Formats: sequence, structure tokens, C-alpha cells
Amino acid sequence: MFQNVLEVKNLTKKFKDFVAVDNISFDLRHAEVLGLLGPNGAGKTTTIQMLLDLMTPTSGTISYFGKDLRKHRAEILKDVNFSSTYISLPWFFTVNEILDIFARLYEVPDRQKRIAKLLEEFEIDHLRKRQYFMLSAGERTRLLLTKAFLNYPKIILLDEPTSSLDPDIAVRIRKFLIKERNEYNVSVLLTSHNMAEVEEMCDRVMVIKAGKIVVSGTPTSLTQTISECSVELNLDNAKKASDFFNSKQINFEINKSRFKIKMDEKKIAEFLALLSSEGLEYTEISIFKPDLEDFFLSIVKQKND
Amino acid sequence: MVIRYTYNLKHSLDRLSDMFYWPLLDLLIWGVTGLYLAKLSTHSSNYLFIILNGLIFWIIVWRAQHEININILSEIWDKNIVNIFVTPLNIYEWILSFMIFGFLKSLVSVVFSALIAYLLYGFNILVYGPALILFFISLMLTGWAFGFIVAGFLIRFGERIQTLAWGGIAIIIPFSALYYPLSILPHWAQLVARFIPSSYVFEALREMLFTKQLAFDKLGISFGINILYLIADIWFFVFMFNKAKKIGIGRLI
Repeated sequence: MFQNVLEVKNLTKKFKDFVAVDNISFDLRHAEVLGLLGPNGAGKTTTIQMLLDLMTPTSGTISYFGKDLRKHRAEILKDVNFSSTYISLPWFFTVNEILDIFARLYEVPDRQKRIAKLLEEFEIDHLRKRQYFMLSAGERTRLLLTKAFLNYPKIILLDEPTSSLDPDIAVRIRKFLIKERNEYNVSVLLTSHNMAEVEEMCDRVMVIKAGKIVVSGTPTSLTQTISECSVELNLDNAKKASDFFNSKQINFEINKSRFKIKMDEKKIAEFLALLSSEGLEYTEISIFKPDLEDFFLSIVKQKND
Repeated sequence: MVIRYTYNLKHSLDRLSDMFYWPLLDLLIWGVTGLYLAKLSTHSSNYLFIILNGLIFWIIVWRAQHEININILSEIWDKNIVNIFVTPLNIYEWILSFMIFGFLKSLVSVVFSALIAYLLYGFNILVYGPALILFFISLMLTGWAFGFIVAGFLIRFGERIQTLAWGGIAIIIPFSALYYPLSILPHWAQLVARFIPSSYVFEALREMLFTKQLAFDKLGISFGINILYLIADIWFFVFMFNKAKKIGIGRLI
């Protein structure tokens, strides 16, 4: 059993003078869900294309299960699959025809049984005879995911797997992915702009920016790198409170009598003591700890700065 | 992949009708024209048979080329090419599927056209006997060879040059001498025709039609050039595919 089912070493992609992916190295572990995050144009799609042999790297190596992708492409791709909301399927084909073709291409044994099981899992078994162009966006996404699981993949690459899905369906898809990981040890590499989804699903997250991996770690460890919390509280005397915050050069946002102030977690007690000493009484207080979205935004902000 | 392209027939009237509708229309229009020319001539049905001969056998070249190109385009139009190339399918299997599917569609189309020509005009392509198979194969090779040149450009540049799928092969029609002997062409065109394998086949077809003699030399040259072209053009297609991979197959969607 390989601890690292996917190993990427010094992967680089240049388009003339533009470096889209700049010497990145990472691995995907057995039964791990790894999130690949980054702002638009960071190099995520280029990386995924290279991981699927849809694009030739300028330099670097990609190996799955200890085997080089370029030398063992067909053997590797039998155990890998991919889904993205940016791709489509034959427009006029029925759901069953589409899945039948891909099941044949992957040489799936007992393919009709496998198709039936997955259609049921993704709750689209009633659409079996419907043509692709007649499906809703959510149904198409579920069909693409069905296609992606046809070949019992050991590794699955998912590009925005739940975008365009209704929230309840998205929850079920996430549960399915976690179940596949837990029961069948499927390793997942996913990109998503839904940070709550990434936080919920990923064991590890990697942030790519301007073609480089800038940070990698568990969602919890990454969010802990941000100490700034958001404190929201209702203050009875909004005028007095505003004057006080201005005098102390404390940045705040106000909506009626509700104030929102960002501060280091360690300074919250000191801040509340200061309010008390000024005779400012609050009626309700909420403290929001940073989440992955805050972390992601801080990374994007660094880029813009 | 052959099954995938066969499903296209089921769902696309375009893809189904091009096997029957256009050949039928061509045979009706040009067959009647041939009949009229035959009436004007003392050599009676020769004009008609030359035209029908050209029409029916050109279908083989056209279908073989068109199926390669239109099936590549169908993957691009459907935004399905990424799905295809994340499977274990390799480029040579893909190439083979185009050839098999093109062969099957050509066969159906030619049999249908031959039947119409026989029923309407009494022209029987079985007069060529077993040589028919050799003519068929040689023209098929020509269609595949030219199909893979166009395919190379399609895979590299995508649908913005898709017009080549319909018109690309037309460039060799004047030099293939479908309806006239090569000797009619100007000298420079005859020189060009020497490099067009289908010109030898159509010359040999006419020769056999009127003399009952099979021109093995012409057929041999056509096979030789075809095989060279096919090898070179498959190489070109694979080369262009690898060029396309340098900028990413995903950009074709």
C-alpha cells in the first residue's frame, strides 16, 4: 500500500514567458481529502490538467502509486477519475448511453449494475432515459459525478464538485464523498470556492497563488494562523461609543446600535474592560473566530497588497 | 469509441442523413444529367456510367475523411474531449475508432448508392468483380490520410477552423479526375495529380469499366502513395495532438 498515492515533484508549466505553475511539489496521501485552493488564475486548473495528462508539463514529475504518469498513463488512469462543472457530456445522449460509453472505456465489470447503483446513490435513477440537454444544472453535475465514480476510482480529482447544486443535494454529495473515502479509501483532490465545504471535507488544504504553493496544512492549523477575531456587540449609547472608539483609533462598523470590531483574540478581554471603565454597557455580544474563508481572503489580500 | 459514434447516428438526423440523403440527391441530379448527356452522344450510356462511377466511388473518400473530422468536432462541440482523455483511451485507439467507424459508414453509404444506381440507371458496380474490394480499400486509405491532416489542424486549433472538415478534401477533387481522364487536365495539374492517390484509382476504374482490364500498375501506385501518406498523416495528427497538449486539451472546451 502506498502512503502517497500521488506525488508531484518540481512541477512547472510555462507559456512562453508566463509561468503558470512554478516548481510545485506536493503529495496526496492514501484515503486523504486534499483541498486545492487559490484565487482565479492562480494555477489550479493548469495543475489539474497536468495531473490528468491533458497538458504536458514544462518540467517536473507526476507519479501515481509510485509509477510515472507519462510512462504508465493508461494503467494509472484506470484507477483515476475526474469531474468538473466546466466540462459537459454528449448533448443529445441519454444518461444511460453516456454512462454505458464511459463504463466501456474504463472496462467496468458488470457495468449496468454499477450504473444502476451509482444512479441511485446520486438520486438520478429516474433520469436514465432522459437526454443530457434536458437535465437541469444540478442533475448534470450529479451525472458528471456518477461518471467520475464509475470505475471504482482510487483517486478522484474534483473541480468545484458541488457548485450549481441545491444546498440539500450538495450536503448529500459531500456525505457520499466522505463515505467513499471512509469505506473504499478513495483519495480526493478537490478545488472549491465554498470554504465551508473545504473546511468540512478536507483533511489538508494547499493554497496556490501565482503558480506557487504558498501554504499547506489542515484547515484548523491554517485558520489558527489568523488571530484576528470579529467582535459584534450591541451598545446602548451608540453616539458615546462611536466617539470613544474614534478617540482610541479603534476601527469599527456600525449598524444602528450594533458594532462590529476586528481585533486580536488576545485583546478581547482588555477591550471589554475598557468599555466597562468608560461606562459603555453592552446587551449582546458575539465573538466570531476566523474560519478558512478569512484565511483565504487574507492570502488573496496579501497578493493584492 | 465506435459505439459512442454509433450513438451519434441515433440522435442526430444530420449524421444519419449524410449517409443516405446527399448520395441519393447526387445520384438523382447527376444521374439524370448523365442520361441527358447520353442522349446527346452516340456512345450512349458511357457518360452516365462515368458520372455514376465518380459519384459512388468518391463517397468512399469523402466518408472516410469526413467521419474522422466530424467525430473530432463532435467531441469539441459536446465539450466532451476532456472526459475522453481522462480515460485510459490512448490516441492510437482513438485513431482506430475513427477508421473503423468511417469504414462502416462508407460501406453502408456505398452499398445504398450502388443499389440506387442499379435500380434507377442499371449501373452495376459489381462489374468490377473482386477488384472492387481493392478500389474500395485504396480510396478508403486516401480518405483516412487526408482526414488525419485536417484532424491534426482541428485538434490543434479547435472549432475556429472547422470549415476544413467539410471543405478540406475538396481540394483534391479536381486532381482526382473523378469524371474525366487525367489527360484532359493542363500539364501542371497532371503533375499535381501524380501525387494524389485517388487519381490513379479513378483512372483504373474507368479503364476497367471500358476495357475490362484491371490496371494493376495504377492500383499499385495508389496503394504505395496511400500507405506513405497515411503513415505520415497519422504521425502528423499525433504530433499536432502532442502540440495541443502543450497548451492543454482543456482549452478545446
